[in-house]
Amino acid sequence: MKIGIPQALLYHYYYPFWKTYFDSLEIETIISSPTNKRIMDQGVKYSVPEMCVPIKVYLGHVLELVDKGADYIFVPRFVSIQKGQFFCPKFMGLPDIIRHSFPEMEPIMISPYIESTTDDLATSIKQYQVFEEKFGISRRDNRKALKNAESVWKSFREYSLRGYDISEAAALSMNDGHKTLKQRKSEVKERFETPEVTIGVLGYVYNIYDSVISLDILNRLKEMGVKVRTFEMIDDDVLKEQLSSIPKTLFWTFSDKLFAAGNHFYHDSEIDGIIHVTAFGCGPDSMLGKLLELDSTKHEKPFMTLRIDEHSGENHLQTRVEAFVDMLKRKKRKVKRGALA
Amino acid sequence: MKVTFPYMGTTVVYKKLLEMLGHDVILPPKPTRTTINLGVKYSPEFACFPLKVIMGSYFEAIQKGAEVIVTSGGNGPCRAGFYERVHQRILESEGYDVDFIVFDSMFRDPKTFFRNIKKLRDRTPWIQVMKSLLLIYDMIGKLDNLEKKVQCIRAYEKNRGETSRIWEKIQYDFDQAFSFASMKKAFKLGKEKLNSVPIHHIEEEEQIRIGIVGEIYVVMEDSINMKMEQVLNSLGAEVERSQYLSQWVTYNMLPKWMNWTHENAVLKKGEPYIPILIGGHAKQSVGQIVDYGQRKFDGVVHLMPFGCLPELVSQSIIPKISEDYNIPVLTISLDEQTGIANNQTRIEAFVDLVRGKRKQRLNGKTKLSRNKREHCCSSS
Ligand code: SF4
Ligand code: SF4
Repeated sequence: MKIGIPQALLYHYYYPFWKTYFDSLEIETIISSPTNKRIMDQGVKYSVPEMCVPIKVYLGHVLELVDKGADYIFVPRFVSIQKGQFFCPKFMGLPDIIRHSFPEMEPIMISPYIESTTDDLATSIKQYQVFEEKFGISRRDNRKALKNAESVWKSFREYSLRGYDISEAAALSMNDGHKTLKQRKSEVKERFETPEVTIGVLGYVYNIYDSVISLDILNRLKEMGVKVRTFEMIDDDVLKEQLSSIPKTLFWTFSDKLFAAGNHFYHDSEIDGIIHVTAFGCGPDSMLGKLLELDSTKHEKPFMTLRIDEHSGENHLQTRVEAFVDMLKRKKRKVKRGALA
Repeated sequence: MKVTFPYMGTTVVYKKLLEMLGHDVILPPKPTRTTINLGVKYSPEFACFPLKVIMGSYFEAIQKGAEVIVTSGGNGPCRAGFYERVHQRILESEGYDVDFIVFDSMFRDPKTFFRNIKKLRDRTPWIQVMKSLLLIYDMIGKLDNLEKKVQCIRAYEKNRGETSRIWEKIQYDFDQAFSFASMKKAFKLGKEKLNSVPIHHIEEEEQIRIGIVGEIYVVMEDSINMKMEQVLNSLGAEVERSQYLSQWVTYNMLPKWMNWTHENAVLKKGEPYIPILIGGHAKQSVGQIVDYGQRKFDGVVHLMPFGCLPELVSQSIIPKISEDYNIPVLTISLDEQTGIANNQTRIEAFVDLVRGKRKQRLNGKTKLSRNKREHCCSSS
């Protein structure tokens, strides 16, 4: 029995958790390939045209898993991981989109409701009962697996907070050998010793860490010698504090995190500019993007929006990003010269 | 206070309520091309269409002197709950300083609700406030009742445009009525007027009924949905909307435990397709299509703002429901670029299809068993 996990959407945030969980239960998993042209095309083909890219791509991943012979497909229904907040409607309705578009898939989908009060998914065992029934697992083993998953995920988050990007953090947390966190941390410092500019990149994990969707924006920036900060590298308490000063927040957890991160970047003197990477047609982003953009002049920090979809061209993106980075560098040098004079 | 509100559907209702509370009401102009352009200019590009239109109508109302904006916070966890923040921020950055009073459901957030009422009440005595609320509630029910008739009669009117003209007049009559008695009179008069509209006699099998579902704002406000009801009526189809103000108010005002409203029944019907509330009106839309299917409507038009998050989920599911209930559904997504010109043919083709399907179905059966189908033209 193999469970397929689509390498899309919140895979990028919860993969260490899910993988550890299934491994501990000795349930075999197949992961879909990193997004590629075929996956993208399939997803586009079976989605309604106005749908945002990440959801289209998700469908492509699900279809690939079926082709690869997965017996089950893991499509959790993300409802809420914070009190009074929800996920983007498309997340809440994701299993419905899939099962009604492909009725033959309904029996093989495993779609637990994710409803908890923290982003640690191990807090409510209820969500995992479905595996006990389907795979004949005892409650005790289930709990144990959750514990393992939780601890690996926590260390993954810890790495993120130390400035590792998601893929590094995932790899490190999952085969954490001999090196301690401290050693890792010192390495990070060395690597980024003198970045010329630091950019806060605002975007959902499933966009910016999917190198096809985002046209590899993170690596492009790194190649230009830019240090990148993203929302998941910021401590949750810091984000919450940002939000508490805002009269009304958005309804969606990750959008709120981005909104808070954006505000944090404005106040963080280390950050020279902000790039908002947003999927064409993303509703939540249109709101938070506008509010942040309006604040840009107030904080005198450049803010750029990069809109991506299945037709985005690499050259165009490269040019815009280069221009933005150059501008930041010039601005910084000028300030430095000004300070010296 | 000089108060305004977003334009949606039968605006006499809000106007009246605010007037009765002693305010100077700045009636926002009905959204036009100019309103939309204004809204588009200042709103985020990918904001939902309703947000843009409302933005535009705020600008227009402010130019007319409005100082306070009364609005509702929207239903469920969607962007609508955040509109006011974005609107306010944009107005601010354009140098306008206006106050917002945002109503959410009385039971979901009673504290704010009463604080708002207090703010709005000003010096109006409470007893007067209560009376006004009841009167308005009565009025909404009556208007909705008449509107349902309009949507049906208009399909068969002999003189193009007559029914719509009468409907305008009826709304005006209600606008002038300030007591239960005068409301009652306006209602009776309205009914008579509508009944006297000369109509073509159309054979039973030629009569088709189309339901309109979707996101509340684009369903309710005809100036931004290409006057969908009138378009369908003019093609000879009777129309029913999924949402009427009275239903919406009742649903939002009743506490959960005694909420046996139509809205709740519809939600139940949506359950097999979308088990939980995902925001906006997705589950209602889906449930409403099921409802129309069960009531043997001939077709459904699904309206959504371009890129509307929850309605995109419903749109993805609609092919399945359409198949399950054998009812044709046409989805139209609306934004500032949508015009009747490029949609008229689609709509006409759809109505033809619906008509053809109906004939097929009726021919399949030997006897017409349509007794259960109530037609508003014939009933009281
Ligand atoms: S948050 Fe935006 S990008 Fe993510 S699923 Fe929703 S609309 Fe799409
Ligand atoms: S339901 Fe649609 S139109 Fe309404 S706020 Fe949500 S996305 Fe916008």
